[in-house]
Amino acid sequence: MLNDLEKKRYSRQICLFGEDGQRRLKKTGAFIAGAGGLGSIISIYMAAAGFGMIRIVDCDSVELSNLNRQVLHWSGDVGTSKAASAKDTLEGINPEIEVEAMEETISIENIDQLLSGCDIIMDAMDNFPTRYILNKAALKKKIPLFHGAICGYQGQATTIIPGKTACLRCTFPRAPPVTTFPALGSTCGVIGSIQVTEAVKYVLGSGGLLENRLMLWDGLSSSMDEVACARNPSCQDCREAGLEREDN
Amino acid sequence: MPDGSRKEMTVSVASIEEILKELHINPVEVVVAKNGKIVPEEETASSADELKIVRVVHGG
Ligand SMILES: [Zn+2]
Repeated sequence: MLNDLEKKRYSRQICLFGEDGQRRLKKTGAFIAGAGGLGSIISIYMAAAGFGMIRIVDCDSVELSNLNRQVLHWSGDVGTSKAASAKDTLEGINPEIEVEAMEETISIENIDQLLSGCDIIMDAMDNFPTRYILNKAALKKKIPLFHGAICGYQGQATTIIPGKTACLRCTFPRAPPVTTFPALGSTCGVIGSIQVTEAVKYVLGSGGLLENRLMLWDGLSSSMDEVACARNPSCQDCREAGLEREDN
Repeated sequence: MPDGSRKEMTVSVASIEEILKELHINPVEVVVAKNGKIVPEEETASSADELKIVRVVHGG
């Protein structure tokens, strides 16, 4: 049930997808992996939209050089843990939801526990090795993974529905080399917003998702493009998860 | 090409892996779409195919 304050808070969404839709968001637990550039946008919009439980995980502390893009954290937060800073900001945005912020490094050992009670996974990581941990967990638990990544003016996003679409490893079989990536806050804004929109539509069961579609944003030329993805029959992660390849 | 430019190549039949080598592109940094669809690098392509080479970004 939505209380009177919630009905008022979400009135512009309720006229978009009804009280039933809003209740669905309220019942959804979202795991946000990372409280950096993408994690900032994703968590702020998910909190504001009324996802009922948000669990955001990051092992780092806020640095001055984060503040050009990580709008979850403010100048006064420099030196404090990103998890604590995230909790403050998100609870300030929306006290009606439950925010769990954890200072943890995501690993194969702790991922199952971190995901308990979560219905969807938001990828806001800055590296592929951890993304592959999220991918395996999503395949195992059969919950969606909303992938996003950025570099400078460029970004990419796709929606992974286990058993239905290509997984992250099908599309990206190997991790690209680790580099210090340039980052513009507004690029995180574009990609993080796409990920949240996907998550909202998934929960509501409305619209068309980025299923088997890799969306590519180039901010330098202001253009969106997309390429199709497909299950890779030799994907090790799909095989390990016991997902049979569907003929298409 | 990853920088947005286009390039005509005349090859009979070659694997994506070989084509990337020819172009001096590190295969770890890109995914390749053949006629709009991402394919593994063992896949082959000919002059009749359109390849789009997309640089994979990893930041967050
Ligand atoms: Zn796969």
